Amino acid sequence: MRSSSDTEGTSETDNRNAKDAQSEVQLSRKRRVLRPLAPSTYLLRNAGKTIPLTAVIVLAVMLVSGIIAMIDSIPYSIRIVYRYAKEETGITPRGDPSLLPQLVSTIKEHSPVRIERIIICRASSAIVRSIVGKWPFVMLGLTQDDMRYYAARQGCGRVIGRYPNPGAPEAIVSRPVAKNLGLKIGSTVLKPDDIENYAPDKIKVVGIAETDRWFMIDSIEYQRDNYFPPVDDALIFAHNSVDQNKLDHWTVKKFKGQRPLVFAYFQIEQNTREMFATLYLILNVVISALALVITFMMGMLMNIYQSQRLVEFGLLQAIGYTKHQLLRRVLLESVSVIALGWLLGLILTFGLLNLASKVLMEPKAYSLDVFDVQAYCYTIPIPLSILIVATFTVILRFRKFDPVGVVERRLV
Amino acid sequence: MIRAEAASLAYLDQGRKVYACQEIDLGVQENEFLGILGPSGSGKSSLLYLLSGLKIPTSGDVLYNGASLTKMPEEERSRLRIGEFGFVFQQPYLLGYLTSLENVLVSKPGESRVDEAMELLDRLGLGHKTHRHPHELSGGERQRVCVARALLGFPKVVFADEPTAALDHSNGLSVVKLLNGMRANGSLVMVTHDPSMLEEADRIVRLADGRLLHSN
Repeated sequence: MRSSSDTEGTSETDNRNAKDAQSEVQLSRKRRVLRPLAPSTYLLRNAGKTIPLTAVIVLAVMLVSGIIAMIDSIPYSIRIVYRYAKEETGITPRGDPSLLPQLVSTIKEHSPVRIERIIICRASSAIVRSIVGKWPFVMLGLTQDDMRYYAARQGCGRVIGRYPNPGAPEAIVSRPVAKNLGLKIGSTVLKPDDIENYAPDKIKVVGIAETDRWFMIDSIEYQRDNYFPPVDDALIFAHNSVDQNKLDHWTVKKFKGQRPLVFAYFQIEQNTREMFATLYLILNVVISALALVITFMMGMLMNIYQSQRLVEFGLLQAIGYTKHQLLRRVLLESVSVIALGWLLGLILTFGLLNLASKVLMEPKAYSLDVFDVQAYCYTIPIPLSILIVATFTVILRFRKFDPVGVVERRLV
Repeated sequence: MIRAEAASLAYLDQGRKVYACQEIDLGVQENEFLGILGPSGSGKSSLLYLLSGLKIPTSGDVLYNGASLTKMPEEERSRLRIGEFGFVFQQPYLLGYLTSLENVLVSKPGESRVDEAMELLDRLGLGHKTHRHPHELSGGERQRVCVARALLGFPKVVFADEPTAALDHSNGLSVVKLLNGMRANGSLVMVTHDPSMLEEADRIVRLADGRLLHSN
């Protein structure tokens, strides 16, 4: 027999349970009811399945866009490093100094555009660094007046330090060159014991030009006194970039097959494209193979996950959902996962490229285009092919699906 | 309301034609509790699938309010099932990622049914478990959620295929009583091998080897 205190205790417990139940009913009524068969409901409540699928797509997108962005950074670097050439048309008489006055007068007389300035210069070779090794660069020997014009033309608003004195073993370099070669005012940029960055004397940096263009300038007097052969070159400047481009094309055409050698920016772009055409072809094959592997893998994963949902599909079809409704639902889920993975992948890639650019590239003035549209476009086949495989798999699965087999437990 | 006219369901087993149901003539009346009784393998479930349009007879016909289910396109039969029928299967199949309330709503999707679903669950004694997931419920509770799912939207016919098979006797009996008590003006067609589950049935038909024996 239970004592009265036991009875009181039991009734207290019962009351408490009843109150708990009542409060849960009230809570239940207050809670928002999601649309049970909305794709978001399934995806959010099955994070264990959704996250791996999304993660595979994210990684694939990051991998593909990351590889392309890094590869693209090579031609991009070429365009950035030699960007100074966009402001000028260079011409050299190729070892015959007597030709230069004639060349200059031909250009002055026949140029299709108005010439702003012609600079007579000397050029010696130097080396800069890129993510794929050393690249040839030019140390321009200019007069005092031309130095200032040239720097201004290359967007230099401010010079830290000063311009080189006439005939002195001194140089001014732009900010990217200083970063790239680790130069400060007082550093040696060319020296006698350096075969790549050679000069008969130690050439000290006396100024750093604040611009994003790459250039190195010393005095024409120093180059004329110390370099062989004694051949001057000419830099021809048009008034604007459109005219400069016209002048570039005209000059190349005018002196084609003749002794003078013309340096034009469009040739750099053209050569870069040709140089990388084969690499991009190989890259296309590799990326296609990668997309194929990822698609195959995703197709298998989706197939496994859908197999695990046979009961769900069978039950829903048995109670009256049509195949089209189920197909549309599964496809919406697939599209959501794929789109989410792709977008996340793009966002993460953008973040990662920014980080790589800030931490690894910028300190050495290496170029990486974080807005590289081509890199992002290369990822488009990934979601598309996965979607095609997913659609195909789902259609195949639903085509001969028998819900009775599920509710009778023959298929589960 | 529903009429099976010489309905047969045959399938090929290793090249041999086997009948799950043969020449069945049977009617289901409005507001009727029809029990289909028979031993395992007698074709009860197959008959239920024929009557509910889940399967199409290989010969004969099944009519719903005069319309032939055999001639009806699959999509239309699906719409009929979701619009006018309710189903309770042997196993308490619920979607594991949905709550009890959401599982009920699955049968007639739409926010407007939330109150009705809550009320059904309340009446089935699950008012305090509407936001529990299936793994948090006992077998009996799961089957009661299935009953609520079948009854949502006041279906014209509820088909129950051995709804008590996965439950002990008392739980099974209570599920049947609930189904019968809450079907409003709808008919209930229930298949079972246990005669004690059909105590409240208006009519019982017996099946053996796919053939209808007699009714009482």
